[in-house]
Amino acid sequence: MWSRHPEIVFAPYLNGELDAEESRRLQEHVEGCARCSEGLAEAKSAMDRLAREIDQIAEPDWVVYRAELHRKLNARRYRAPARRWTPRWAWASVATAAAATAAIALTLALSRPQPPAVEQLALEGGWADADIGLLQDYPVVEHLDLLENYDVIENLDSLTPAEPPQHHESRSS
Amino acid sequence: MGPSDEELCARIAERDAEAFDLIVERHQARAYRLACSILGNEADARDVSQDAFIRLYEAAHSFDRRARFSTWFYRILVNLCIDHRRRNRWWRRFVPLTGPDDDPDAPAIDPPSTEPGPLEEALRNQSMERLNRALGGLSPHQRTAVLLQIQQGFTSKEIAAVLNCSENTARVHLHRAINQLKKVLKDK
Repeated sequence: MWSRHPEIVFAPYLNGELDAEESRRLQEHVEGCARCSEGLAEAKSAMDRLAREIDQIAEPDWVVYRAELHRKLNARRYRAPARRWTPRWAWASVATAAAATAAIALTLALSRPQPPAVEQLALEGGWADADIGLLQDYPVVEHLDLLENYDVIENLDSLTPAEPPQHHESRSS
Repeated sequence: MGPSDEELCARIAERDAEAFDLIVERHQARAYRLACSILGNEADARDVSQDAFIRLYEAAHSFDRRARFSTWFYRILVNLCIDHRRRNRWWRRFVPLTGPDDDPDAPAIDPPSTEPGPLEEALRNQSMERLNRALGGLSPHQRTAVLLQIQQGFTSKEIAAVLNCSENTARVHLHRAINQLKKVLKDK
């Protein structure tokens, strides 16, 4: 026997889904229990009435109903595909591509020519200083042509003098 | 005897239009009535039950043929109905479509598209009003449980599969629904 009123199995019992043993036990209980006997009868009556109410629901014109359904289905089938939710694997691909791009950029950055070391800078700095010193004598630089000319002038003595021109007087003597 | 629902569903997965028409004709009345009973409104029931058939067409390939077709299909329908109720809850607070205080002679706010005559419309409204009064105090899950048993003859296990709950929870929904119905229908 159930320890209390087995109202929870009234619906399964009325639906015929209890096995033979459970049904027999329920029937025995209901025969000896006024409350459950009345409760089971009321449950059956309520379900029968509800079934009758549902049967009275007016049905639509099924031809029209199906035509509407086909129209909706076709509209949905030929509608431009909506923006689809991007699948998870697509996001994974994007992330992988981004990581690969970052790795390539980093490799390229590291393989670029390194800036000169401090010692190299100091050595080059010396030459630069010399250049700057030359530039400080800018007027000299400006007259380099003159210096070249001066070189010529300085060696004038070693130059072979040109033959003097013939005078008309000696021809005449 | 024609092909089983499960066979038709497999054909629908291969885009067999004839199989789709056959399954719609087979289930249209039960789907519409179940939607009507859960939603309490004919126009919504029409839309939502049609949406359920569209979902069936689109998702037929995902149906596991070892399962029972009706459990799978009514789960789609019930979920759509519950979603619809949830979405429209705030709106119905301001504009109740049907209720105990409605005047049966008043014109319907949301008439069906087939435009029935005034007498037929009044009878329809009365019928829906009675049904809504009986089911008004039930939660969507309680409604669904009792309607699936009465209309479809679903067992507690099948109701549990549709509602995505345990068999015991389905029995509790049924028990509470019947207790509420006993009170309402006794008063009538």
